[in-house]
Amino acid sequence: MRGLLVASLLAVACRPPADRPSAPPPPPAHRIVSLAPSSTELLFALGAGSQVVGRTTWCRYPPAALQVPDVGDGLNPNIEAIAARQPDLVVLYRSQLNETAAGQLARLGIPSVTLAQDRLEDIARAARELGRLTGRQAAGDSIGAAMEGLLRTPPPAPIKRVAFVVWDNPPMVIGGGSYLDQLATLAGGANVFHDLGAASATVSIETIVARNPDVILVLSDSTAPPAYSGRREWRAIRAVRERRFIMLPADLFGRPSPSAPAAVAALRRALEAEGPSRQ
Amino acid sequence: MSDAAPLLSVVRVTYRYGGAATDALHDVSLVVRAGEFHAVLGPNGSGKTTLVRVALGLLAPGVGSAELAGRPVTAWRRRELARVVGVVTQREDNLFPQKVRETVLLGRYPHLSLWGAERPADRAAVTRALERCDAVGLADRWIWTLSGGEYQRVRLARALAQEPRLLVLDEPTASLDVRHEMEMFELVRALVDRHGLAVVMITHHVNLAARFADRVLLLADGRTAAQGAPAAVLSRETVERVFAWPVAIAPFDGRPQMIPLRQPKESA
Amino acid sequence: MSRWLGLIALVAVALIGAVVLGPAHIALRDLASSDIVRSLRVPRALLALLVGGSLGVAGASLQALVRNPLADPFLLGLSGGAGLGAVLAIALHVAGPWALPLAAFAGALGAMALVYRLGLVGGAELDPRVLLLAGVAVGAFTGAITTAIVSLAEAADLRNAFLWLWGGLSGASWDTVLVMVVYIPVPLIVLYATARPLDLLALGEEPATHLGADVEPLKRRVYVAASMLTAAAVAVSGVIGFVGLIVPHITRLVWGHRHRSLLPAAFLGGGALLLFADTAARVTVAPRELPVGIVTALVGVPLFAVLLRRWTGGGARG
Repeated sequence: MRGLLVASLLAVACRPPADRPSAPPPPPAHRIVSLAPSSTELLFALGAGSQVVGRTTWCRYPPAALQVPDVGDGLNPNIEAIAARQPDLVVLYRSQLNETAAGQLARLGIPSVTLAQDRLEDIARAARELGRLTGRQAAGDSIGAAMEGLLRTPPPAPIKRVAFVVWDNPPMVIGGGSYLDQLATLAGGANVFHDLGAASATVSIETIVARNPDVILVLSDSTAPPAYSGRREWRAIRAVRERRFIMLPADLFGRPSPSAPAAVAALRRALEAEGPSRQ
Repeated sequence: MSDAAPLLSVVRVTYRYGGAATDALHDVSLVVRAGEFHAVLGPNGSGKTTLVRVALGLLAPGVGSAELAGRPVTAWRRRELARVVGVVTQREDNLFPQKVRETVLLGRYPHLSLWGAERPADRAAVTRALERCDAVGLADRWIWTLSGGEYQRVRLARALAQEPRLLVLDEPTASLDVRHEMEMFELVRALVDRHGLAVVMITHHVNLAARFADRVLLLADGRTAAQGAPAAVLSRETVERVFAWPVAIAPFDGRPQMIPLRQPKESA
Repeated sequence: MSRWLGLIALVAVALIGAVVLGPAHIALRDLASSDIVRSLRVPRALLALLVGGSLGVAGASLQALVRNPLADPFLLGLSGGAGLGAVLAIALHVAGPWALPLAAFAGALGAMALVYRLGLVGGAELDPRVLLLAGVAVGAFTGAITTAIVSLAEAADLRNAFLWLWGGLSGASWDTVLVMVVYIPVPLIVLYATARPLDLLALGEEPATHLGADVEPLKRRVYVAASMLTAAAVAVSGVIGFVGLIVPHITRLVWGHRHRSLLPAAFLGGGALLLFADTAARVTVAPRELPVGIVTALVGVPLFAVLLRRWTGGGARG
């Protein structure tokens, strides 16, 4: 009976673009399937880790999350695997690909909530929302406030020009639409590709050369410089020639995360440590 | 007949296709000299095309030998062979559109060096070939605009552009009308008489073969049913046996002509 | 003669455009001294010329070999093999800056050998129709395996591998140009030597034999040389479609079917086309870049439609 009520409310409530909750106000959810790395991390950060009964293959943080059963992909999720966990709440990543998933879950009577999880302000909102849904309102509001505080403080004057290079063939960089760009700005790094509205984009190597970043930021857990740094055409970029790479480990930088303040601080330290040209 | 050395010498060849129950050719011989017009006749499946393939080295006979100008055919390189023998196959599938002159020029391939360009001598050979086939007027036409008869003449010109000593024609007049068929036979006869070419022609047209050819080889089931001058080969008994149909033989122009008799179907 | 001059002029314009134009604004007077121009644009322009030219020649030869004007060098399964090779290299974390191109090259050659083997009928003769079917089958099969690996894989890297397959000249450097310059002359010369026999092959295998061509070695040579050219192109620049298909047709309209002129014209024409396409890919949405395989398709498809109308409407038929 409750399922039917929730389902009918869902059918009305679950529409893009806003993040709509399943029903206001539901009792605390005890069996949550989280279908995005950010929301999984948030739930653990809220202290609700024991309430998480399902996660995606990509949800690796915190390490405790690895104990939670894996239900597959977060985009175009496996509804059967999710239903098998008998959840009372499913947290979906907001994307065109997940529109049908919300509907399918509703038809099964499983409440779901769709949250945008692309930028730091999304995390603030998601923290408050998940806090409410898990009965840990105080924790949620606290995280939300911290993120909002971080975003409200005026960013420092940029001390270095940076570029995030995520792929080499074709060369892909992070643009102004990504949380990484936000982290860089907050840490005093000016993303030379900030003007690109998208989260990521393909560019020519010569564009990177022309924009001449001081340092290249790489998402990587190892300390070795990326493979392309040995290739001749990449060495036209000054930062590559001078081996000026900063490795950003996945635990802090792999997704928009409540650890954003720590990530900003770490990045700031790394940027300050980058001395003048070594060659 | 000339006493010159044979140009093509197929001696007692036997050939069986892989997996076949019987020989496609059994103990067949064919000796061709310059200035001779040989016709190869026989019902469908009697081994005519197989004989030509063995003669040209495409198939190796199980028994017997095939020699061209005194050397075994299989010892000839393809290019060398193409300088001596010009072949017009039953059918060709010319994919790409070209002009007549271009397609005849392809016949000069065996004479061209690997890297060298076409020389004036090659173009002259093409013109000569077109003249001999009475096709000079067609030289600048696109081949798809040609009629069946015209296209056959062009193919013959291409074979002549190779400047061969022997011409092998596989049913060159199939699907041609009376006029074009007669023209083709006259053309071939003129090439033999005036230019000393040797010709082997596979044809279904028994009567024209009888009138134009110097010698006839009549095949049946892969074996030689009769071989020699048309008058000797085309007797009523032989023709009836080979083609399994009653005929009358009547002379015309000094050559035997075959007239199939009627055998009306009985009403059921 | 004027046709050739026109074509060479076209290539020159394309080269100049590729060097002068780009997402980074470089004044004309600074061109010669600019590092971007010397280390990036010039090698990239040369690579576009060499890759486009290789694809043009390979396409023209293969169309003659399989006697099908719709043949494209990538119809023979090479792109599938290359993609699989590349994806395996990433999945197995093979290190080194040349890992991806070498793996793609090896994959392409593997596909070539497999298709060749499947194309042999009766153990010895290469049947062009069977070759085509085998190519499509091998391409589909390797494509399926590649997609499976990528969809099951953990690293985002593997998903990006598909972007590489779309084709791009961003890997261009003087090193890659050197590799191509050393590598392609042999297959090109082999194919040029087959130019005349290829004209004969257009009549059919039997007539070609009677005109003096050694048909079996010819087919083998053309297949292997054209595949080697395509494999190299894929290794350095991914799958760039339509160049090998369209350029031979365009050049045939002007130079006819004689391969002695067609093959060199296809080389220059392919080079010019890819140069223009790559410049457009770099410049039209600057600072972003389009995959060049998309530009060749966007240009190639309408061009192809126009050609098709010409062919079926009037004029040359084949």
